[in-house]
Amino acid sequence: MQYLIQLLISGLAIGAIYGLIAMGFAVIYKSTGLVNFAQGEMTMITAYVAWTISTTISGNVFVVAFGAILAAIVLGLVIERVVMRPMLGEPVFATVMVTIGLAVILRSSINFIWDAYPHGLDLGVGRDIVRIGGIGVRTGQIAVITALLLLLAAVWGFFRYSKFGIAMRAVAADDRTALLMGISATRVHAIAWAASSVIAGIAGVFFAISYDLSPAMFQLGLKAFPATILGGLDAVLGSGVGGLLIGITENLAGGYLGSGMKEVAGFAMIIVVLMVRPFGIFGERDIERV
Amino acid sequence: MRSGDFKETYGELVALTDSRPVWLWSAALLAALIVAPYLLNSYALSFLIIILITGVGALGLNILTGYTGLISLGHVGFLVTGAYAYAVVVSKYGMPPIVGFLAAGIVPALASLVVGAPSLRLKGLYLAITTLAFSFIINTVILEARTLTNGARGISVQRPEILGVSFDSDAAFTHLCLGFAIVTLLATLNIRRSRVGRAFVAIRDNDTAARVMGINLHAYKLFAFVTSAFITGIAGALYGIYLSFVSVEGFPFLLSIEALAILIVGGLGSALGAVLGTILIVLLPEATRLLFSVFSAQMDAIFSTGAQELKSMLYGLVIILFLRFQPRGLVGAWHDIRRLWANWPLRY
Repeated sequence: MQYLIQLLISGLAIGAIYGLIAMGFAVIYKSTGLVNFAQGEMTMITAYVAWTISTTISGNVFVVAFGAILAAIVLGLVIERVVMRPMLGEPVFATVMVTIGLAVILRSSINFIWDAYPHGLDLGVGRDIVRIGGIGVRTGQIAVITALLLLLAAVWGFFRYSKFGIAMRAVAADDRTALLMGISATRVHAIAWAASSVIAGIAGVFFAISYDLSPAMFQLGLKAFPATILGGLDAVLGSGVGGLLIGITENLAGGYLGSGMKEVAGFAMIIVVLMVRPFGIFGERDIERV
Repeated sequence: MRSGDFKETYGELVALTDSRPVWLWSAALLAALIVAPYLLNSYALSFLIIILITGVGALGLNILTGYTGLISLGHVGFLVTGAYAYAVVVSKYGMPPIVGFLAAGIVPALASLVVGAPSLRLKGLYLAITTLAFSFIINTVILEARTLTNGARGISVQRPEILGVSFDSDAAFTHLCLGFAIVTLLATLNIRRSRVGRAFVAIRDNDTAARVMGINLHAYKLFAFVTSAFITGIAGALYGIYLSFVSVEGFPFLLSIEALAILIVGGLGSALGAVLGTILIVLLPEATRLLFSVFSAQMDAIFSTGAQELKSMLYGLVIILFLRFQPRGLVGAWHDIRRLWANWPLRY
């Protein structure tokens, strides 16, 4: 029982990280209709920037957090402006392939700029152990789950009530009609990329605090795919929940079936789910005209 | 002056080519490729072998992604399955290499049925991610099935001897790869101009419309998966033989991306494009290295330390630039040049 609860809690913590990255996917998909295959790499770059700030400028938590968020915003905006905007109006396949190319570039630039060795991001927080009812939980784990819940609420409110959130949904639904209604599609895309980059960056920093920083971190992006797919590509809230589900499944499979199963439990799960619901658990069915 | 190129019968429409020079040049190229292994040094020969093997794989993916429009991010899964099928059958059970190649085609084809089955329900990106999931799952299956595959230790593979002919030397192995590449090229070209190929293209252009016209979506999508996996599996077996060692690490996920990059750079949905794209992508790192080494020895030093990184950055950059400036790929550029040549000084 103790073992099960321990697995569930660490599953929730890693699931929250997947969930955050998956939300990043969903925010971009919801406003631009694209899957951003460079999400894992963006996560990784923000975490590396945070690490650089902590070792060179200051190890203060707030300084690092501020710097990392700023860097994530800049990264998102630059990618949108330089790489994605020229592709506006091109077929989805072409644009998605561009993000794959971008992912390859970002991934190798990490090895090029920094190095291939793992580092620890030590801010002096997040590694203390709190005991709740006899179960040891790290504060970092609590913080990441809280962050996921807060962001889920904020993003839900944003898309539901704010004027800009509604504009984003309009652009996603039909960008031409949205343009005719006076919505600036390019601005919507820019904000979406920045927001997604920040959300993914937060996940990256939390991951670096709880585990460590290495060029293999981009695999978080691959792990978050099942989460997004499970929730439905266009469901921001669903992606967050999907992340938690994937995290728990993965940890239970790893704990009871063996480490090989841990790697693929998420992928096996989405194949089963997609057989039953081809648009994810919370996704909306596309109705298309021929 | 010729005012245009008019086809008068259906036979002419589906003919491989209507021009004599194309046949002549193809024959000349074939002759050159047959002689090449005896003239090239072993370094250049290794590039030729890689181009031929990669070409087979790219043509395989072209059937699925180029013709039928089903994006696969998991083709490396079929590649590794084919390589392992060959290695297990030939190295472990000592069967003749022909059986090995058959197994290298059939086992991935069977695996593709499992991935292809959901493809009627899944569309676009959902399908792409399912294939991605498949390639990760297959790696785990291979690592876990230790009795058959030796797990993480891998299996070493010898160069084959088929019907008394030994393909041990590099030149002979090149001829083997060349044979497979030509058969694959002819097979895909012929699939494209048959009823099946037209059904594939109809599905790519609009699958609902294709269904309304009476094309059995499920059967044709599965057929595309099976053919594509069969060819890719053969490419995997050849690659395994070339590496002389089959392991999961030998087939990284990047190969899936590389295959898609080849199709995009060459021109999606064209066999000629797959071939041109293969040549460009395989030679790209080498060409850049030569270019840099001409400029300075210092650049060369950077290249040797960060070679792998620069190589993959180049992939990324080339993919992005092609999609941005030449979305129809090398084939599109070739068509433009040809039209310019025929119609100059008029625009069309």
